[in-house]
Amino acid sequence: MTPVVVADAVEKAYGDTAAVDGVSLSVDEGEVFALVGPNGAGKTTLVRCLTGTTTPDGGSVELLGDAPADANDQRVGLLPQDFQPPDRLTAGELVGYYAGLYDDARDPAAVLSDVGLDADNDTWYGDLSGGEQRRACVAAALVNSPDVLFLDEPTTAVDPAGRRALWRVFEELAESGTTIFLTTHDMAEAERLADRVALLADGRVAATGTPRELVAEHGGRPRLVVELPEETETAPDVPGFSPEVTREGVVFSDVAPEGIGEVVAALDDAGVDFEALSWREPTLEDAYLALAGDVEGVEVQR
Amino acid sequence: MSRLARIRAEATATYRTFLRRRTAVFFTFFFPVLLIVIFAGLVRTTSGSGGLFTEPTAYYVPAYLATVVLFTPLSRVGSTVARHREGNRFEKLSTTPLTRAEWLAAHTLVNVALIAAACAVLLVALLATGASFALSPWLAVLVPATSVAFCGVGAVIGSYADGQDGAIAASNGIALPVLFLSETFVQPELFPAWFRPVVDLSPLAYFARGVRAATYSGGDVTTNAAVVVALAVVAFAVGTLAIPWTE
Repeated sequence: MTPVVVADAVEKAYGDTAAVDGVSLSVDEGEVFALVGPNGAGKTTLVRCLTGTTTPDGGSVELLGDAPADANDQRVGLLPQDFQPPDRLTAGELVGYYAGLYDDARDPAAVLSDVGLDADNDTWYGDLSGGEQRRACVAAALVNSPDVLFLDEPTTAVDPAGRRALWRVFEELAESGTTIFLTTHDMAEAERLADRVALLADGRVAATGTPRELVAEHGGRPRLVVELPEETETAPDVPGFSPEVTREGVVFSDVAPEGIGEVVAALDDAGVDFEALSWREPTLEDAYLALAGDVEGVEVQR
Repeated sequence: MSRLARIRAEATATYRTFLRRRTAVFFTFFFPVLLIVIFAGLVRTTSGSGGLFTEPTAYYVPAYLATVVLFTPLSRVGSTVARHREGNRFEKLSTTPLTRAEWLAAHTLVNVALIAAACAVLLVALLATGASFALSPWLAVLVPATSVAFCGVGAVIGSYADGQDGAIAASNGIALPVLFLSETFVQPELFPAWFRPVVDLSPLAYFARGVRAATYSGGDVTTNAAVVVALAVVAFAVGTLAIPWTE
């Protein structure tokens, strides 16, 4: 695979604050790469370094094989964070405006249709809802059919249905070979879309891997949560198991689905009454919280 | 796609946005006409008394045109640059093939077109007051060139001002003294002798002298036009470099 985006020991500081502190990563052609991390972790600054909209203080960046300033801008798409385009243009005019800046662009109406705004072609951008505005901005980022697309929190303020519509658009782009670099706070989004995920904390990459790898390494084990009729501070004595009491209830860790019956039998044998059982696998959010829940405690891999 | 096509796309969006802002349309086209109605139509002064507005109305043609040529580009380009900064629009544009020189060229073209239209309205309004002045072809040089110069200055203001409000405040703070101290509404002999050389530092003074020479008093238009054109080139270049295209 050819790397499309390469960062090598990138550093960027604002005053005494290091926004990006020695980040190295590589994104291959056709890959969907998600960058997650707490607010202020340096995600947007890193996107700006990668797209050439800011100059790193140290390290190097390659975009499509060149320095970002020299990269072929016909092949790059960007949706900035907090992007506010002209509000006195209709959605169709807005996307048409950005289409007019490229040699070869898609039909604005078709792109609006892709993001579910085909009925809003003639609606002023300022009259769209917050979620619709964000979808129009996504359309503006897609209009040149970019080979590499940077999306800085693309689904912020988008309702669940709109979010899923955008996810389908991103999935289709990825299937057609578009490289996508995505930042998000939505772990479900990262888990669904990304081939690989990097967690940024305090300007440094704390972990990188496929969602499955991160979950396996940092997400903990499958859990069976038992809700008792009354709150308790001490875990019941269940022979053969070592449950813990949490805010969720009594938690039995590392229980596979086929082991649920065994736990239930042990609870019956121990004379423990319960009201409900719930079982779930660890998710990327569990991994994220384990890594970034306490940013101060993140063990950084330089 | 050619450079011209990119400029056209940017200019089209800018033009549409302007026409849909009623306040901007009012202040560009109707506010200066109000000044004419008040000072050329209502105010009665005695010619030769030595005070303000004591010259014939035609003397003040450059002053009325200056209200548009100065205020429109300063405030519009200044606030537009500030709005682009606040909305991360430059961040987006910097990843497209559009360059910042093309961006400023597009916004300058729109401003020049609007200012030319507003000046035409002003000249018609002045003729309606009975003013007698020549419609010189030099106006087709002096008005666009001065507009370009102040578009460049507006870009600098918008690049460094603290937000849209700051850009508008700064542009007004600069434009008001420049307007009244550039041989527009106030004759140079009304200033103290020591101050008169300061007037030569104002780009608008060359516009006023050139327009007045071309439309009313006669005299050297060429030198004043050459200064204005040179200032336009320099201001456009400085304005382009000032635009915060990247962080």
